[in-house]
Amino acid sequence: MADSQEQEQQWELSEEGCHVSLTHDNLNVNTIMDRVRSPSAGAIVLFAGTTRDNFAGKPVHSLTYTSYHPLALRTLLSIATSIKATHGLTGIAITHRLGPVPIGEESILIAVSSPHRQAAWRAGEQALEECKDRVEIWKREEFTGEEGVWRANRDGKMGVKVTE
Amino acid sequence: MSSTPPPGHFQILYFALASSLTGKDAEPLPAPLPLSQLFSKLEELYPGIKSQVLESSLVTVNMEYVDVPSRGEEGEAVLQEGDEVAIIPPVSSG
Repeated sequence: MADSQEQEQQWELSEEGCHVSLTHDNLNVNTIMDRVRSPSAGAIVLFAGTTRDNFAGKPVHSLTYTSYHPLALRTLLSIATSIKATHGLTGIAITHRLGPVPIGEESILIAVSSPHRQAAWRAGEQALEECKDRVEIWKREEFTGEEGVWRANRDGKMGVKVTE
Repeated sequence: MSSTPPPGHFQILYFALASSLTGKDAEPLPAPLPLSQLFSKLEELYPGIKSQVLESSLVTVNMEYVDVPSRGEEGEAVLQEGDEVAIIPPVSSG
Protein backbone atom coordinates (compact mmCIF):
# COMPACT_ATOMS: atom_id res chain seq x y z
CA MET A 1 0.00 0.00 0.00
CA ALA A 2 2.80 2.40 0.88
CA ASP A 3 4.40 2.60 -2.54
CA SER A 4 7.05 5.15 -3.35
CA GLN A 5 4.57 7.58 -4.89
CA GLU A 6 2.56 7.64 -1.72
CA GLN A 7 5.58 8.61 0.36
CA GLU A 8 5.38 12.16 -0.93
CA GLN A 9 1.64 12.49 -0.49
CA GLN A 10 -0.47 14.08 2.15
CA TRP A 11 -4.21 13.68 2.53
CA GLU A 12 -6.25 16.42 4.19
CA LEU A 13 -9.71 17.82 4.85
CA SER A 14 -10.67 21.20 6.26
CA GLU A 15 -13.84 22.87 7.44
CA GLU A 16 -14.35 26.07 9.47
CA GLY A 17 -11.60 25.98 12.03
CA CYS A 18 -11.09 22.23 11.74
CA HIS A 19 -8.19 20.67 9.89
CA VAL A 20 -7.29 16.98 9.68
CA SER A 21 -4.56 15.23 7.73
CA LEU A 22 -2.66 12.00 7.14
CA THR A 23 0.93 11.95 5.97
CA HIS A 24 3.95 9.72 5.50
CA ASP A 25 6.24 12.59 6.46
CA ASN A 26 7.62 13.55 9.87
CA LEU A 27 5.07 15.48 11.90
CA ASN A 28 5.80 19.12 12.60
CA VAL A 29 4.68 20.68 15.88
CA ASN A 30 4.96 24.26 14.64
CA THR A 31 2.90 23.60 11.53
CA ILE A 32 -0.03 22.15 13.46
CA MET A 33 0.09 24.90 16.10
CA ASP A 34 -0.04 27.51 13.36
CA ARG A 35 -3.19 25.81 12.01
CA VAL A 36 -5.08 26.71 15.20
CA ARG A 37 -3.27 29.92 16.18
CA SER A 38 -5.67 32.86 16.51
CA PRO A 39 -5.78 36.33 18.07
CA SER A 40 -9.04 35.39 19.79
CA ALA A 41 -7.50 32.35 21.49
CA GLY A 42 -5.90 32.53 24.91
CA ALA A 43 -4.56 28.99 24.87
CA ILE A 44 -3.28 26.32 22.55
CA VAL A 45 -3.02 22.80 23.91
CA LEU A 46 -0.84 20.43 21.92
CA PHE A 47 -0.76 16.67 22.35
CA ALA A 48 2.02 14.63 20.76
CA GLY A 49 1.74 10.85 20.81
CA THR A 50 5.11 9.17 20.35
CA THR A 51 5.99 5.58 19.49
CA ARG A 52 7.08 3.49 22.47
CA ASP A 53 9.93 0.98 22.41
CA ASN A 54 8.02 -1.75 24.27
CA PHE A 55 4.62 -3.33 24.68
CA ALA A 56 4.06 -4.48 28.27
CA GLY A 57 7.82 -4.73 28.66
CA LYS A 58 8.45 -6.59 25.39
CA PRO A 59 10.91 -4.73 23.17
CA VAL A 60 9.33 -3.32 19.99
CA HIS A 61 11.87 -2.58 17.29
CA SER A 62 9.61 -0.84 14.77
CA LEU A 63 6.03 0.28 14.10
CA THR A 64 4.03 0.78 10.94
CA TYR A 65 0.65 2.47 10.54
CA THR A 66 -1.81 1.80 7.73
CA SER A 67 -5.15 3.43 7.09
CA TYR A 68 -8.33 3.48 5.05
CA HIS A 69 -7.39 7.00 3.98
CA PRO A 70 -10.68 8.52 2.78
CA LEU A 71 -12.74 7.06 5.62
CA ALA A 72 -10.11 7.87 8.26
CA LEU A 73 -10.10 11.49 7.10
CA ARG A 74 -13.88 11.64 7.21
CA THR A 75 -13.93 10.19 10.74
CA LEU A 76 -11.18 12.58 11.89
CA LEU A 77 -13.13 15.54 10.55
CA SER A 78 -16.32 14.39 12.24
CA ILE A 79 -14.47 14.09 15.57
CA ALA A 80 -12.89 17.53 15.08
CA THR A 81 -16.11 19.33 14.21
CA SER A 82 -18.05 17.75 17.06
CA ILE A 83 -15.34 18.52 19.65
CA LYS A 84 -14.96 22.06 18.39
CA ALA A 85 -18.70 22.62 18.87
CA THR A 86 -18.89 20.89 22.26
CA HIS A 87 -16.03 22.88 23.80
CA GLY A 88 -16.47 26.16 21.94
CA LEU A 89 -13.00 25.92 20.44
CA THR A 90 -11.40 28.50 18.20
CA GLY A 91 -9.65 25.82 16.18
CA ILE A 92 -8.71 22.17 16.15
CA ALA A 93 -6.18 20.28 14.03
CA ILE A 94 -5.35 16.59 14.05
CA THR A 95 -2.65 14.88 12.00
CA HIS A 96 -1.59 11.23 12.00
CA ARG A 97 1.55 9.76 10.50
CA LEU A 98 1.37 6.61 8.34
CA GLY A 99 3.92 4.07 7.17
CA PRO A 100 6.94 3.19 9.26
CA VAL A 101 7.47 5.45 12.29
CA PRO A 102 10.82 5.09 14.09
CA ILE A 103 10.67 4.56 17.87
CA GLY A 104 10.41 7.79 19.84
CA GLU A 105 8.95 9.88 17.03
CA GLU A 106 5.51 11.48 16.86
CA SER A 107 2.73 9.35 15.37
CA ILE A 108 -0.15 11.74 16.15
CA LEU A 109 -0.45 15.46 16.88
CA ILE A 110 -3.57 17.18 18.15
CA ALA A 111 -3.68 20.96 18.58
CA VAL A 112 -6.67 22.83 19.95
CA SER A 113 -7.10 26.52 20.62
CA SER A 114 -9.76 28.22 22.70
CA PRO A 115 -10.40 31.55 24.40
CA HIS A 116 -9.55 29.99 27.80
CA ARG A 117 -7.32 27.11 28.82
CA GLN A 118 -9.83 24.82 30.58
CA ALA A 119 -11.79 24.08 27.43
CA ALA A 120 -8.60 23.45 25.49
CA TRP A 121 -7.26 20.91 28.02
CA ARG A 122 -10.52 19.00 28.06
CA ALA A 123 -11.03 19.11 24.31
CA GLY A 124 -7.50 17.86 23.65
CA GLU A 125 -7.96 14.83 25.83
CA GLN A 126 -11.37 14.00 24.44
CA ALA A 127 -10.12 14.34 20.87
CA LEU A 128 -7.35 11.83 21.48
CA GLU A 129 -9.64 9.30 23.13
CA GLU A 130 -12.15 9.51 20.28
CA CYS A 131 -9.40 9.12 17.70
CA LYS A 132 -8.06 6.02 19.40
CA ASP A 133 -11.58 4.63 19.54
CA ARG A 134 -12.79 5.29 16.05
CA VAL A 135 -10.33 6.41 13.39
CA GLU A 136 -9.67 3.77 10.73
CA ILE A 137 -5.92 3.52 11.30
CA TRP A 138 -4.03 0.38 12.34
CA LYS A 139 -0.69 -0.06 14.05
CA ARG A 140 1.56 -3.04 13.57
CA GLU A 141 4.31 -3.63 16.09
CA GLU A 142 7.37 -5.69 15.18
CA PHE A 143 9.13 -7.47 18.02
CA THR A 144 12.71 -8.64 18.06
CA GLY A 145 12.85 -12.35 17.25
CA GLU A 146 9.06 -12.77 17.10
CA GLU A 147 6.12 -12.36 14.79
CA GLY A 148 4.57 -8.92 14.36
CA VAL A 149 1.28 -7.99 15.97
CA TRP A 150 -1.63 -5.83 14.81
CA ARG A 151 -2.66 -3.88 17.86
CA ALA A 152 -6.26 -3.13 18.87
CA ASN A 153 -6.84 -0.06 21.04
CA ARG A 154 -10.19 -1.20 22.33
CA ASP A 155 -8.99 -4.01 24.53
CA GLY A 156 -5.56 -2.70 25.50
CA LYS A 157 -4.33 -6.26 25.26
CA MET A 158 -1.86 -7.90 23.00
CA GLY A 159 -3.33 -8.09 19.52
CA VAL A 160 -3.45 -11.09 17.25
CA LYS A 161 -0.22 -12.64 16.07
CA VAL A 162 0.49 -12.43 12.40
CA THR A 163 1.99 -15.30 10.48
CA GLU A 164 3.33 -14.30 7.12
CA MET B 1 -6.20 0.78 -3.06
CA SER B 2 -9.70 1.80 -4.08
CA SER B 3 -9.45 1.09 -7.79
CA THR B 4 -12.64 0.48 -9.74
CA PRO B 5 -13.58 -3.21 -9.90
CA PRO B 6 -14.24 -4.91 -13.27
CA PRO B 7 -17.87 -5.12 -14.51
CA GLY B 8 -20.01 -7.51 -12.48
CA HIS B 9 -17.87 -7.12 -9.35
CA PHE B 10 -17.62 -5.16 -6.13
CA GLN B 11 -14.29 -4.23 -4.64
CA ILE B 12 -13.42 -5.47 -1.15
CA LEU B 13 -10.66 -3.81 0.88
CA TYR B 14 -8.69 -5.63 3.57
CA PHE B 15 -6.90 -3.84 6.39
CA ALA B 16 -4.52 -4.88 9.17
CA LEU B 17 -5.01 -8.55 10.09
CA ALA B 18 -7.54 -9.03 7.28
CA SER B 19 -4.84 -7.95 4.84
CA SER B 20 -2.24 -10.24 6.45
CA LEU B 21 -4.56 -13.27 6.31
CA THR B 22 -5.65 -12.75 2.70
CA GLY B 23 -2.25 -11.59 1.52
CA LYS B 24 -4.03 -8.73 -0.28
CA ASP B 25 -4.99 -5.10 0.21
CA ALA B 26 -8.03 -5.44 -2.05
CA GLU B 27 -9.69 -7.65 -4.65
CA PRO B 28 -12.80 -7.74 -6.84
CA LEU B 29 -15.53 -10.26 -5.93
CA PRO B 30 -18.58 -11.17 -8.04
CA ALA B 31 -21.68 -8.96 -7.58
CA PRO B 32 -24.48 -8.99 -6.69
CA LEU B 33 -23.97 -10.75 -3.35
CA PRO B 34 -26.38 -10.52 -0.41
CA LEU B 35 -24.56 -8.86 2.49
CA SER B 36 -25.72 -11.74 4.69
CA GLN B 37 -23.52 -14.07 2.60
CA LEU B 38 -20.37 -11.94 2.66
CA PHE B 39 -18.69 -13.65 5.62
CA SER B 40 -19.41 -17.17 4.38
CA LYS B 41 -18.08 -16.22 0.94
CA LEU B 42 -14.86 -14.94 2.53
CA GLU B 43 -14.60 -18.00 4.78
CA GLU B 44 -14.85 -20.15 1.65
CA LEU B 45 -11.97 -18.23 0.05
CA TYR B 46 -9.87 -17.90 3.22
CA PRO B 47 -10.66 -20.70 5.66
CA GLY B 48 -10.35 -19.48 9.25
CA ILE B 49 -10.77 -15.78 8.44
CA LYS B 50 -14.21 -15.64 10.02
CA SER B 51 -13.18 -16.53 13.55
CA GLN B 52 -9.78 -14.84 13.32
CA VAL B 53 -10.92 -11.48 11.92
CA LEU B 54 -14.43 -11.10 10.59
CA GLU B 55 -16.30 -11.75 13.81
CA SER B 56 -14.42 -8.93 15.55
CA SER B 57 -14.54 -6.54 12.56
CA LEU B 58 -16.95 -3.92 11.30
CA VAL B 59 -17.97 -3.62 7.67
CA THR B 60 -18.42 -0.55 5.51
CA VAL B 61 -20.12 -0.25 2.14
CA ASN B 62 -19.17 2.86 0.19
CA MET B 63 -17.63 4.24 3.41
CA GLU B 64 -20.80 3.82 5.50
CA TYR B 65 -20.90 1.33 8.36
CA VAL B 66 -23.48 -1.42 7.85
CA ASP B 67 -24.93 -4.16 10.02
CA VAL B 68 -24.05 -7.57 8.67
CA PRO B 69 -27.04 -9.86 9.25
CA SER B 70 -25.99 -12.71 11.52
CA ARG B 71 -26.01 -16.30 10.39
CA GLY B 72 -29.41 -17.62 9.39
CA GLU B 73 -30.90 -14.13 9.05
CA GLU B 74 -31.80 -13.08 5.56
CA GLY B 75 -31.41 -9.31 5.57
CA GLU B 76 -32.21 -7.23 2.54
CA ALA B 77 -28.95 -5.51 1.76
CA VAL B 78 -27.20 -6.66 -1.40
CA LEU B 79 -23.68 -5.75 -2.46
CA GLN B 80 -23.88 -4.30 -5.94
CA GLU B 81 -21.52 -3.99 -8.85
CA GLY B 82 -19.07 -1.15 -8.27
CA ASP B 83 -19.58 -1.03 -4.49
CA GLU B 84 -16.53 -0.49 -2.28
CA VAL B 85 -16.74 -2.82 0.70
CA ALA B 86 -14.19 -2.81 3.53
CA ILE B 87 -13.40 -5.08 6.43
CA ILE B 88 -12.56 -2.86 9.42
CA PRO B 89 -10.73 -4.76 12.19
CA PRO B 90 -10.45 -3.11 15.64
CA VAL B 91 -8.54 0.13 15.12
CA SER B 92 -5.25 1.17 16.73
CA SER B 93 -4.35 4.77 15.92
CA GLY B 94 -2.48 7.08 18.26
